[in-house]
Amino acid sequence: MRYQGYTGKYLEVDLTTGRIETRPVEDKLAETYLGANGFGTRLLWERVGPEVDPLSPENIIVFATGPLNGTLMPNSGRMEVITKSPLTGIYGDSNAGGFLGPELKFAGVDFVVFSGRAAAPVYLRIEDGRAELRDARHLWGKDTFETEELIQKELRDPGIKVACIGPAGENLVRYACIQATMSRSFGRVGGGAVMGSKNLKALAVRGFGPVRIADPEKFYEVATRSHFGIRGNDIYPAVSRYGTPGIVSIMNGIGRFPTKNFQLGGYDQADKINAEALREQYFVKDVACYGCPVACDKIYRVDEGPYAGTEVRSFEYETLGGYGASILNPRLDSIIKAGDLCDRLGLDVISVSRAISFAMELYDRGILKKEAFDGLNPVWGNIEDALELTRRIAYKQGIGALLSQGVRRAAAEIGHGADHYAMEVKGQEIASQDGRAQQSMGLAHVTSSRGADHLKGFPTIDETGYPTEARRRYGEQYLPDMADPRSTKFKGFLIKDGEDYAAVVDAVGTCKSGGNFVLAQLYWDDVAGAVRYATGMELDADGLKVIGERIVNLQRAYNALHGISRKDDRLPKRLLTEPNYQSTKEGSVCRLEEMLPEYYNLRGWDAENGLPTVARLRQLALDDVVERLGPKLKP
Amino acid sequence: MRIQLNPEKCTGCQICEAFCSFKKERAVWPARSRISVLKWEKEGVFIPFVCQQCERAACYEVCPVGAIARNEETGAMEVDESRCLGCKMCVTACPFGGVAYDPDRGRAIKCDLCGGQPECVKMCPTGALSFEREEKNALARKRQGAERLAKYIDAIGR
Ligand code: SF4
Ligand code: SF4
Repeated sequence: MRYQGYTGKYLEVDLTTGRIETRPVEDKLAETYLGANGFGTRLLWERVGPEVDPLSPENIIVFATGPLNGTLMPNSGRMEVITKSPLTGIYGDSNAGGFLGPELKFAGVDFVVFSGRAAAPVYLRIEDGRAELRDARHLWGKDTFETEELIQKELRDPGIKVACIGPAGENLVRYACIQATMSRSFGRVGGGAVMGSKNLKALAVRGFGPVRIADPEKFYEVATRSHFGIRGNDIYPAVSRYGTPGIVSIMNGIGRFPTKNFQLGGYDQADKINAEALREQYFVKDVACYGCPVACDKIYRVDEGPYAGTEVRSFEYETLGGYGASILNPRLDSIIKAGDLCDRLGLDVISVSRAISFAMELYDRGILKKEAFDGLNPVWGNIEDALELTRRIAYKQGIGALLSQGVRRAAAEIGHGADHYAMEVKGQEIASQDGRAQQSMGLAHVTSSRGADHLKGFPTIDETGYPTEARRRYGEQYLPDMADPRSTKFKGFLIKDGEDYAAVVDAVGTCKSGGNFVLAQLYWDDVAGAVRYATGMELDADGLKVIGERIVNLQRAYNALHGISRKDDRLPKRLLTEPNYQSTKEGSVCRLEEMLPEYYNLRGWDAENGLPTVARLRQLALDDVVERLGPKLKP
Repeated sequence: MRIQLNPEKCTGCQICEAFCSFKKERAVWPARSRISVLKWEKEGVFIPFVCQQCERAACYEVCPVGAIARNEETGAMEVDESRCLGCKMCVTACPFGGVAYDPDRGRAIKCDLCGGQPECVKMCPTGALSFEREEKNALARKRQGAERLAKYIDAIGR
């Protein structure tokens, strides 16, 4: 390969035959899709058709890095897993920080593609470009932390980076996550179940090689400027001190903290589970991902009470929302316990907690009866039974089996209007991010290629009003509306730009929180510079934007192959009709229809079918998409 | 001058390793970094570790060709690459693993304090690394010790 930044090699692993091949990464692939999710999207498009069941051997699961992973750029530790999702049945990807991505690069591998199904449990070991499949029968049934430790012991190297599944993935829970070293997870879309279906327990990586850079002087310049920029950003001290839990109070204050399964927009006990309470009572230590000056990850430990001895890492806002406000549980130590439990069992905290609040609401409304719960009492706030329900979901016991399919499938099976309480889009559960209090968030959930998601469009600058960054990025002409969370004006624009930029940020391998969105320090020019000097590609901000758009459009096209169109771009009725009441403020609903036309228009998508037009696809050099989707498309 | 290590502040980000290796090798290559962050993930303990430029340096004593010498200006013990045989005696002799071996060039490699402007210290975001005069170092250590003692006394008092 003529570009630096990449290692230029990838592994093709057929689990059915046990064959592993090392292949070159084509220049063309890097030029058109950049890396990570870009590569994965292309591979899914080419290899996994609509007829493929996500849990069959024909599905693939790709672990992919980008050209900036393992470099000098701040927070360049993030990598992607791409697969067809067993939760949504469409395009799926998930991102994790930590050290796995850089380690894969140091091991001389850009990405790994798994296909097929092993006859018995295995794990893949990679060390400096060499790879082997190893027996994992003794690891099957073990939780994620045990698995990581056992592999490190077995290979006699505590520096090995392990990504693995827990019982939930083995049992094919549709939202099982992949734990990526102790503190990080590929949380969403059910990649854990795909690994489980392939009898693939883990990936263990070690590397001692370099990541080479095309223009060291210029790259160093961009990297150091980015580091000091982030460290000098106004909100750096707060993000660094509190991490994502820091937004509990902020979100609660604006009615954007989904409570009681989205019945309310704020929680009257939020101050018991906010970042200050957490820090004061349980904080142990700051922990960073590779190359990150922010260190939003923390270790928290419970020393007293029924959960004494519990310790969590990467304990996020979402756990506080999901196992706190969403089920009306104000006990912080129990939420820490829930976080630890989900990590060990290998469950996506967002989906599983939403499944539980869904079940609690159905019980409350008499749609699910007491008998369904086998002795549990799923009333609001009963955290003990919520924890037990979490376990039963991972092991698919009793009602756990029903809920393990995700709320959409569960609601369809339950009937009796249960779907009204299933807070999902395209089959994926909505995170603690409420589109009623922040209009653009509702749009983001709907347009995201992986089903309900806040991280694809990732609107942060209108969350609470962040006019400084809005001004810096978009200029004065969109203010004040753009920074106003309740306004729908310019939100189509905000989400489109956010999605394109996020696609690129994911593709290069850096973090959205630590510099690009939450801490909105870096933007197109910075990333373009970094990619140009790291790789040696002729690329500027405009070129990068085209790649971002191409990735987003190909994901949409992939979903269109699976029947997705305008009709699926919808929110649960609750968000459109029931205001996010909270004690102090008037509620509002999400005015989705005011934003969608602007979005489609800017995308160059047809407003009727919600699909890219032929003209748009050709502009993005996606001619093969035009051919394959054929009559579905408008000119 | 010496690079003072403050492990309790270290987040394990490895920025020091990335930048050190880049400065010395022009590639991001943690395995070739002169500074290493030792990690106990489970316990959450991260300890940055780098040559402390010992007063009576074992590497210097053991080198058969006098390839290691002190830079009087910076105080660093430096490897003269043109003299180094690649015999690895220094690697073996250093009790702290402060000297490593580069198999590609067949040379010993170690921290040279970057000519008095340590890159790792410049980029470390947390203060886990600092570059200070010995006298200040000693005082700072005493203060740290005294603080611990104060807490201890306070704890018994209550
Ligand atoms: S002072 Fe320079 S050579 Fe020594 S560890 Fe730091 S960056 Fe590396
Ligand atoms: S840069 Fe500082 S905080 Fe980061 S690993 Fe090195 S010593 Fe620790």
